[in-house]
Amino acid sequence: MNITVWGNELIAWTTAASLAKHGNRITMVPDAEATGSTDLDQKVHNEPGLLKLLEDTIKSGHLKVVTADEGLHAQRHFFAFSPNKSNSATLIASQLSNLHPVGLWIINQSNFGVGSTDQLQSLLREDKNQYAAYMPDMLSEGSALSNFQQPETLIIGCCNEAANEIKAIMRPFCHSLCQWLQMTPKEAEFTKFANTGMLALRLGYINELANIADELDVDIEVVRNGLGSDPRIGRHYLNPGCGFGGLHFQQYVEGLSGLMSDIRSSKLLDTVLRENDKQKEQPFRKLWRHYNCNLQGLTISIWGLSFKPGTASVDNAPSLKVVEALLAQDCKVQLHDPEATGIFRRSIGDHSLISYHQDPYEALESSDALLLLTEWPEYSSPDIENICSRMKQRVIVDGRNHLDKQQLEQQGFSYYGVGR
Amino acid sequence: MLHFQPPTDSPAWKQLQTYAIKVNETDIKQYFEQSHDRFRKFSWKSRHLLLDLSKQRFDKQVLNSLLDLANERLLEAKIEELFSGISVNLSEDRPALHTALRAPSKPATLLTGINISAAIHANLDRMQEIVEQVHSCQWRGFTGHSIDTIVNIGVGGSDLGPLMATTALSDQKEPQIKPISVHFVSSMDGSQLATLLKRLNPARTLFVISSKSFTTVDTLANAETAKEWLSQTGSADITTLIARHFIGVSANPDKMTHWGIPESNQLLFWDWTGGRYSLWSAIGLPIALKLGMSRFRELLAGAHQMDQHFRTAPFSENLPVLLALAGIWNINFLKINAHAILPYDGRLKHLPAYLEQLEMESNGKSVTQDGTAVNYNTCPILWGEIGSNAQHAFYQLLHQGTEAVMCDFIVAANRYQDHQNDQLSYQHKLNTANCLAQSRLLAFGDSVLDDNTKIPPHKRYRGNHPCTTIVLDELNAYSLGQLIALYEHKVYVQSVIWGINPFDQWGVELGKAVATSLQSALDDNSSNAFDDSTNGLLHHIASLRGA
Repeated sequence: MNITVWGNELIAWTTAASLAKHGNRITMVPDAEATGSTDLDQKVHNEPGLLKLLEDTIKSGHLKVVTADEGLHAQRHFFAFSPNKSNSATLIASQLSNLHPVGLWIINQSNFGVGSTDQLQSLLREDKNQYAAYMPDMLSEGSALSNFQQPETLIIGCCNEAANEIKAIMRPFCHSLCQWLQMTPKEAEFTKFANTGMLALRLGYINELANIADELDVDIEVVRNGLGSDPRIGRHYLNPGCGFGGLHFQQYVEGLSGLMSDIRSSKLLDTVLRENDKQKEQPFRKLWRHYNCNLQGLTISIWGLSFKPGTASVDNAPSLKVVEALLAQDCKVQLHDPEATGIFRRSIGDHSLISYHQDPYEALESSDALLLLTEWPEYSSPDIENICSRMKQRVIVDGRNHLDKQQLEQQGFSYYGVGR
Repeated sequence: MLHFQPPTDSPAWKQLQTYAIKVNETDIKQYFEQSHDRFRKFSWKSRHLLLDLSKQRFDKQVLNSLLDLANERLLEAKIEELFSGISVNLSEDRPALHTALRAPSKPATLLTGINISAAIHANLDRMQEIVEQVHSCQWRGFTGHSIDTIVNIGVGGSDLGPLMATTALSDQKEPQIKPISVHFVSSMDGSQLATLLKRLNPARTLFVISSKSFTTVDTLANAETAKEWLSQTGSADITTLIARHFIGVSANPDKMTHWGIPESNQLLFWDWTGGRYSLWSAIGLPIALKLGMSRFRELLAGAHQMDQHFRTAPFSENLPVLLALAGIWNINFLKINAHAILPYDGRLKHLPAYLEQLEMESNGKSVTQDGTAVNYNTCPILWGEIGSNAQHAFYQLLHQGTEAVMCDFIVAANRYQDHQNDQLSYQHKLNTANCLAQSRLLAFGDSVLDDNTKIPPHKRYRGNHPCTTIVLDELNAYSLGQLIALYEHKVYVQSVIWGINPFDQWGVELGKAVATSLQSALDDNSSNAFDDSTNGLLHHIASLRGA
């Protein structure tokens, strides 16, 4: 099939590469507005296997990056724009409607909000077999290819007339499919919001519980085990920590929060987002209290800059807020991350008080405290003797409850976890 | 050479007295009948501010004599003395250099050869650092949370100026700044604090203690209450709590240090800034915290523009001079002893209180700079209210009472231009119409009606009340700066005419000393050391307190 994929999001490149791999002829328009920014999104570089697949499919001729004009020729389209590009989507849909009077399928994967796919449909003519459908972006950074190519569930928002065409396009990825859920586009858009909102609520809830546990001198890990043992609740998305991040997750939660606020004047998710923002600074606050509200001139080490392990992305990561707070107190900051130091540096800018280290233990030299902000596996069993020999003060703030509290305390560390 | 001749000796004063007899027989209405371009002749504009004196009870002849009076009182030299840092405040032997606070760093203002501009601008820069630290959420309280609430503790000039300006400019916040709640606490009895502290979060509250002397008992009592409230959290030692939650603004750094405020949290101003002229100094910190430092600098720029105008414009077109002379004419020659301030703008609701202090504390004096008792009136009683609200309160007296009152109407021409709500634009039009209607009615009375011959006595409006109208292009930081500086200089001009010192306030000192002795009397409950009335009240209160 000839298919055009629009957009420069991770989902756009993942969709294009995956479809091209299965023999489709894919034209890809990352820059619909012809702004000249055809650079691959950084997330593509960070995503395991994706760059290689893109190179392979381009080499085989199945994938071609083209201009907007060339992209209009196909009858099947994936819209995978960033949330601020809804005007581009509208414009292209109108153009496509004029160009394809005998059949047109637009599968929208963009986060334009609830009702936006219906708006695209309003620009098309059903009597001429022109359809807009919604397929939510269910990718998780770090596992995008497998998420797209081996989904257990596919949620599709479309009318019956369009369903067969979408099934045909997605057929190569349906081997392990357990559920094909067809609903209206609006319901599918709302389902995506609901899904993300639920996860945010769980994280917000466990973090709130952890903060209370801190005050009650209760170990949240014990409570979490008890909580997760209830089959109605389960254990997933119940790890307390110093706040959730990521670009898309935040955007979808904000989208639903806006909807709740507009329609119901509800502050439920807004509160979750605001509390999450505060939570990101929690490691800073623990350090602040430890040093009696004066961090002037201290050397602070940070392990983990990405918003979660397995990705180099620092979008909405706690590390940004914590480092900013430390710099404002004139701290010297020594940073380590297995993958994200380059992106972090670009994001926060050069600063004379920041140093980046290849080796996590080098980042601990003469340090007054270690803050662990991302639960990379390589931090989970650290060489404690090495830590002890390098640090000036034995203070550890574990923002992900990733380290062995008891062991560290036995070595004379002041250990601060999240809720324990 | 200082000039302590009473103004009554000056030829112009005598001339004005003769004019007054004639003018008392003339209605404002008649002036308008005599001249068809009276507005053009009697209104002046300086940048974003228009001053209309056409509804005053004078003509060009009177105005010329008033200008003569100003010259005979050596006003030009006195203005130079003010700006150049000469000790214009004789009883305290110091200059009054509030104009230097809003001047650019160059050319530098020198005081006894010392460049004070450098210190002023260094202090402004320090103020900006604090403001940016708070706005970037990096001023941390004892828990490490950022500050989101400011409580300004001060009284008089340390309260009224920032309160008036933050309210006036409440819709002018720099858009990128995260909203910060700013509260003002002044009352000695703690009633404001008692209510406020119940709903504030100590971890996120920063107190600004503003006191020129840092000995003001009202302010220190409130500051102690705030300190105790914070220490009740039991979460940090008092030194840490003060360092994270208190900023001091004072001309007395030693006292601030003694109270516990670390040097890094101290902002200074100087003894040559009077309390009621201090909003331009670090006392304006709450303004900058609420609205942004650039708004504060715009406020200074507006005031500086008026300073330059005051210093350089010929008196015949000098707004502060003309406003002051209109007042002199009303007070000393038409014998009007009441002055109403009527802003037609809800945002200026604290302006009357601000001007009450500025005018009455400055010029509420009855001896000249050399200590001679005056035999003419000085500052009138001044009060005011948002004009449209006052229409439902004291306008009855203005229109039909026995007391003559001069009125200042203040209105902004443009408002709500960015709002989508047409109804708000309608409300602004309604408000402006009322402002113009009331000044017209006060000036012309019921003669504005087509036929006023059959009106019964209780419905008559005699009119002929002198009115000033000040129109701002729009109310913003710059035009507010102009407006306040206009009144400051007006006060100075009047003080020069009257030969009095506008920069001291000895009339507020004795009460403080007497209160100290009464405080101990309230404790021991048995005092009979005072007059019979006070003794009686002390005993009555003691009996009610169960002593």
